[in-house]
Amino acid sequence: MRRIRVAVIGSGNIGTDLSEKILLDESLELIALVGRDKNSKGLKRFNGRVSNILVGGSKELFANASEFDGIFDATSAFSHLEHWEECKKYGKWAIDLTPSKIGKPLVPALIGSNKQLSLDSNFVANYSMVTCGGQSSAPIISVFAKNCTGIINVEISSSIASLSAGPATRLNIDQYIDATENLARIITKCDTAKAILVLNPAEPQVMMRTTVTVHAQNVDLEAIKRDLSEIELLVKKYVPGYSIVVDPYMMGPNIVTSTAKVIGAGHFLPPYAGNLDIINAAAVETAKLHSKRFNSTFKVGP
Amino acid sequence: MTYLYDVTLRDGNHALRHQLKLDFVSDYCEAAEKSGVWAVEVGHGNGLGASSYLVGESKFADFELLTVARSKLRNVKLAVHSIPGFSTINKNLKPAMGCGVDVFRVATHVTEATVAQKHIEFLAENNQTVHGVLMMSHMADIKTLIEQIKLMKSYGASAVIMMDSAGNLIPQKVTERVIGIKEELEIEIGFHAHNNLGVAISNARAAIISGASIIDGASMGLGAGAGNAQLENIVANLSMEKLSDLELSGFLEMSKIVEAKHPESLPKISGSSIRSGMAGVFSGYAPQVKSISEEFGIDARLIWEELGKRKLVAGQESMVREIAQDLMNI
Repeated sequence: MRRIRVAVIGSGNIGTDLSEKILLDESLELIALVGRDKNSKGLKRFNGRVSNILVGGSKELFANASEFDGIFDATSAFSHLEHWEECKKYGKWAIDLTPSKIGKPLVPALIGSNKQLSLDSNFVANYSMVTCGGQSSAPIISVFAKNCTGIINVEISSSIASLSAGPATRLNIDQYIDATENLARIITKCDTAKAILVLNPAEPQVMMRTTVTVHAQNVDLEAIKRDLSEIELLVKKYVPGYSIVVDPYMMGPNIVTSTAKVIGAGHFLPPYAGNLDIINAAAVETAKLHSKRFNSTFKVGP
Repeated sequence: MTYLYDVTLRDGNHALRHQLKLDFVSDYCEAAEKSGVWAVEVGHGNGLGASSYLVGESKFADFELLTVARSKLRNVKLAVHSIPGFSTINKNLKPAMGCGVDVFRVATHVTEATVAQKHIEFLAENNQTVHGVLMMSHMADIKTLIEQIKLMKSYGASAVIMMDSAGNLIPQKVTERVIGIKEELEIEIGFHAHNNLGVAISNARAAIISGASIIDGASMGLGAGAGNAQLENIVANLSMEKLSDLELSGFLEMSKIVEAKHPESLPKISGSSIRSGMAGVFSGYAPQVKSISEEFGIDARLIWEELGKRKLVAGQESMVREIAQDLMNI
């Protein structure tokens, strides 16, 4: 059986960390990295480590479409529209790390727990990694949702290190909030979801934390505690730095809350960038899980 | 010219645990209209869209509070505080524009002005009066303040307010900051004091003398932690120094309303407030620190010092519990 052949488009912080993760993964083969500027730090870093460093857009990549199975897109929402058209034309899957909202939201630990969050039945699928707050909160939200009835409110508040929030995150803070709230709505089926994002510039930089709070008519705290430690282990399999740091407790009548912390693996950005780490780790895991289903469709050789 | 900006119905909402009631807003705004205050800010203590489990749920929705205030304010501006990350353009700013808000203050932590770009640009493009706010401004040096104020100005803010959210500054530092900024930049500067170290009025005065033109205050000082600079006292000071011809009596009427409606919530400088001021921690954490210190049986001082060490910014309330757990495990 051969490895899953992938390309990364975008050589910024996300694309660089993602490429490092792919190079470390035994089931993935990074056949190309696409960037805009050949002198960029991102592209230079992979000289000699990735066989095809492509500069100036995705045309050249898709001209050799038979050489890969799918793409990771770490560019912009606008560029992703184009890239996805190409993917459909050439029969490739796409994992979207931009805020484009085209893709199906996916959280690896939740696959199977919710119809809307399941793997696509088509090989040519588009998955959205949502947001870092979404990836870190979703496992907790799903455990709360499973063990609460009559959910009235769901709230996700995340704090991240200032240095881990690049210009795009800052400009798109409203989209971040919308996407995170939307994922919480999908999981809980509750319309009133609220997401909050706080940037903290403290030195040393702080680790990412996400707190989930749910208000419901009935809360089974014991069941929540049990299920949460199970799902925590499941997430740790692909995000080793993920842990529950405040165990579930009742912060008020029928209001349950818990906090997770994400320490980044430090593949490219330092450990404080847990927000980038979790989203990229989820992307890699998604690529593997999706590909497994279509093992027999892989073409052998270029 | 000094513009007095009244935060009683917003920062004071911290002291009321965000339970601000409509009849209070109504009576207060009616009195404010007769006082000569420039603007009245209304809302949840953490601003638009901030009602949450994290920082506290509002008794009344933003639009209910703003609608009542709007019905009473004619000459006095209706203002709001808004923090990107809590509020968004679509969910909060647009509806607030619909409520007839006159002045929008878009606030970020002192080093994070870039987060406010889209919000400030949106408001400026829609011809709204928009001011930037740098919270926890004691955490930055003058060079950083200038750089962050420049950013907010470039997005379209016509004034920038420095908040001493932790009540950590002393008058000399306020003077240095305002003068340092005014020497470099042509922009209206505002100052927002907290009274943790008992110098809020002196800080407000220092800011005015140094060239700040927008000064925040609250009637009876009603505000987070040890409270804000007492508005009626600012007026009295300005009058003694012949820096303003505002009539004190209107302001005393407003303070009477606060005193009558919320005698139990009037600020005092407790030991805890002094500790948080010295530690440079956001005053809004006081309720969490109090309840967690009681629940875990840990001296509040230890929690305040740890919050200070970890340099928490506003909006990380859920970490107070984690810190208490860590302190128990040492």
